[in-house]
Amino acid sequence: MIEAIIVFLGLAIVFGLLLGYASLRFKVEGNPMAERIDKVLPQTQCGQCGFPGCKPYAEALAKGESEVNLCIPGGTEVMIQISEITGREPKEMDAEAAEPKPKEVAFIDEDLCIGCVLCIKECPVDAILGATKQMHTVIQKECTGCEKCVPVCPVDCISMQPIEITTKNWQWPEPQTVQEAK
Amino acid sequence: MGLLQRLATLLPLANHWLHRFHGGVSPQYNKSLSASQPLRTTLMPSQLVLPLQQPVGLPAEPIVQVGERVKKNQLLAQAGKDPRKALIVPIHAPTSGTIEAIMPMTLPHPSGLEDLCIVLKPDGLDEAIDNALQVDGSAPQTPQALKDILLQAGIIGMGGAGFPTYAKIPSEAGKIHTLLVNGAECEPFITCDDLLMQTHADEIVRGALITAHALGAKRILCGIETNKPAAINAMRHAAKQLQHDNLKVEIKEVATVYPMGAQKQLTFELTGVEMPSKAHAVDLGMLMMNVATYAAIYRAVTLGEPLTSRIVTVSGLGLEKPFNMPVMIGTPFVELAEAAKPKVALDYPLVMGGPMMGFQVQNNQVPVLKTTNCILANPPEPAEMQMPCIRCGACMDACPVNLLPQQMYWHAQAHEFDKVEKLNVFDCIECGCCSYVCPSHIPLVQYYRHAKSEIKTIKAEQQATELAKQRHEFKLARIEREKEEREARLKAKKEAVKQEVAAASSAATDAAKPAKSAAAAAAAARAAAARKAKSAATQAESPAIPPARLKAIEAAKAASARAAKQTAEKSPEKTQQAGAEDTTLDAKAAARKAAQLAAQKRAQAKVSGNIEISDNKESANTPDSKPDPKAAAKAAAMKAAAQRREKTQQAGSSQTAEASTSPKTEAIDLTGSSEATPASEKEAARKAAMAAAREAAKARAAAKKQPVSEALSAAEPGASSSEVAPDPAEAARLKREKAMQAAKARAAQKRQAADNSNAASDASSQESSS
Repeated sequence: MIEAIIVFLGLAIVFGLLLGYASLRFKVEGNPMAERIDKVLPQTQCGQCGFPGCKPYAEALAKGESEVNLCIPGGTEVMIQISEITGREPKEMDAEAAEPKPKEVAFIDEDLCIGCVLCIKECPVDAILGATKQMHTVIQKECTGCEKCVPVCPVDCISMQPIEITTKNWQWPEPQTVQEAK
Repeated sequence: MGLLQRLATLLPLANHWLHRFHGGVSPQYNKSLSASQPLRTTLMPSQLVLPLQQPVGLPAEPIVQVGERVKKNQLLAQAGKDPRKALIVPIHAPTSGTIEAIMPMTLPHPSGLEDLCIVLKPDGLDEAIDNALQVDGSAPQTPQALKDILLQAGIIGMGGAGFPTYAKIPSEAGKIHTLLVNGAECEPFITCDDLLMQTHADEIVRGALITAHALGAKRILCGIETNKPAAINAMRHAAKQLQHDNLKVEIKEVATVYPMGAQKQLTFELTGVEMPSKAHAVDLGMLMMNVATYAAIYRAVTLGEPLTSRIVTVSGLGLEKPFNMPVMIGTPFVELAEAAKPKVALDYPLVMGGPMMGFQVQNNQVPVLKTTNCILANPPEPAEMQMPCIRCGACMDACPVNLLPQQMYWHAQAHEFDKVEKLNVFDCIECGCCSYVCPSHIPLVQYYRHAKSEIKTIKAEQQATELAKQRHEFKLARIEREKEEREARLKAKKEAVKQEVAAASSAATDAAKPAKSAAAAAAAARAAAARKAKSAATQAESPAIPPARLKAIEAAKAASARAAKQTAEKSPEKTQQAGAEDTTLDAKAAARKAAQLAAQKRAQAKVSGNIEISDNKESANTPDSKPDPKAAAKAAAMKAAAQRREKTQQAGSSQTAEASTSPKTEAIDLTGSSEATPASEKEAARKAAMAAAREAAKARAAAKKQPVSEALSAAEPGASSSEVAPDPAEAARLKREKAMQAAKARAAQKRQAADNSNAASDASSQESSS
């Protein structure tokens, strides 16, 4: 009887120590869920979700403080992915956000630009090149299409333009799907 | 072999034992339509269209002007940058004539997109530059020498893919041990390589020998399908005549099965080496090129002729007289098809390539490219109704690459592109065998093409997302770092000021009262000047304000000079600060200065008190520290600005104030704290200017639209072009004028505000001097 107690007590102590060590040794820094959500977000940093960037929104989602359907550039696809990660019910996107919009990039009309640097300040990915009193231009390759620069421009010289389709980025259209035989 | 072949005629299943690779199909070949006709003489087209963009790589840059007369083989466009990296091949004139235009034209591409093309109007003289590449006719000894000639000649793979040949060839000699010649033209209808082998077998063999010699290849293998007996004979004859002691072209017959001409399949057939996924033949020491490419290499190396023409098959069930013809690159499809006497009017799209892998062009005017081997005119047939997949597995049996077409189809249909990728869709050669055998007529290849482009887009997007994330994080880190640096600077400055003041107060124990009022006035003037200088610095937009600005700068300079003088003078007891100057000063003067300083301090207290009203946090420490007026004002303003910035950050509306814009906010805050009315006026002025500018922009946009619509409505092209030309220019000028007016209005308002404060500072400085 006493041996059994001692044996089990010993086992308990050994496993307890093991678990205690493991919890220290393999401690996970930060919230892994936020990281995962951040990965599926489109990283436009547009702030349309009401958070100042994709990461803050991901963190809020991981804490359960936010809705899953706020990412407008991501659309329904991202919403479903988020709800899969967080394990929450998918929620319908707002009417206008439900329709996928082709990606657009900012374009500065260089005749009108006065070089006020307001858009440079606003750009979340430093995709606008220019200096005070110098004409600005957008690095098209880096632009995420967040539209943050559009409202700050005092002379309205920034417009969003769809990406031009060339033979390089042209896609084969999807064949029409089969009508189910009755 | 013979027995098997006889068996295959009786039992179609035996066909599979005739070749090494898996699958394959035997479609209706229809090759006799064009192969039975002799090679026709070149047709002189009404115009030649030469796209700057080749099938692979970036577009070349034109080096000729519109209206220029060019000769045959003259260089028209070449790579602007290092061509070796960007895969740009030069373009040469196929015949003599004048350059009519350089404009966007429809490309022979499944998308039907337009791109820049050089349009050449032939003059019919066909004047040529002999030896345009300036070669001496001797065989190149090193791969690099060969590559240089091939690059200049603009030779690309003429079998279909169009990869630049110079980029395909390795630079090191001896890397290639086996050179492969692709004479297995397996697509139905196409006979251009067949005819080339029959008529120019020696050129092909010589080209292969030149390449093998330059690369140090030991063996040359040529695979020709059994359905081209004439070509096999011609090639055997040429190979026998031209063989060296150690190097000869071995002609091998290969079974007639589609897709025998695909690179990996023919390599497997000829050498028994099955190429691994994602590996190139070059990695395995083998190099395969099309017979037409070898002929082009021969012509470039020995005759110095760039690639400006090729043999094209014009065939199809809709043509009365199909033929093969050496065609100038750039000849419009429709002219060639018309030359073959179409049975009915060509109101249906022509096909570039064969029926298995070709695509319908969007416009029959598209030009022949270096990769165009066939123009097919098959009248549209009623499309077979697409039925659901019955999972029969016929596609899997037909796939020459051992893929699982049916699985890939299911996932592609469900948009599960990651799964399609895992099934190695990128190894698919898009040969069309699966679609051909499908009993449900499912366009399987279309699904794979779509899936491939989707996967590429998704990957590109992922990369872009990762990059955007990195850039955003970098920006946040930079803002954080700048903020810390600014705070550290501010702190250091505060410390310095504190120490200074402490030293000064200990020095001036007895204050002299009579100097008080004058000192106070001087201090106020200095503070005002400092403020002015700051606000002037922000009015950077217009160059029209230099007088006000200069004045402010001068005032600021004077103030700082005075301050420096005083700091030097105020503590005669303090040796490290007083320096050499204080030794020259006699004790009496020193005492007087000290008294003045004390008075000044009292004045400062007043000024800092003013600032305290706007900034309650600052009020806690300014009375104790008692800094000199300029520093105090500056510190207070900076702190206020920082706080404000923090607030805005918390609100989430603006994340940052960059270093370039921070002086502005600071200055605005400063003016806001001490002179509230001008600041608000300024703000109002700015808003008004913004509104004006916006209106102007709208008007401009409207103006821009108008000429376009006018041009559209204009019926005659001549009239419209003459009308359109001045209109956009005028619109642009109007636009600029409006923007200038708006900017001027803004500048004027700012100047006014500046003048207001300027006048105030002038008044106070006068006071101080009196």
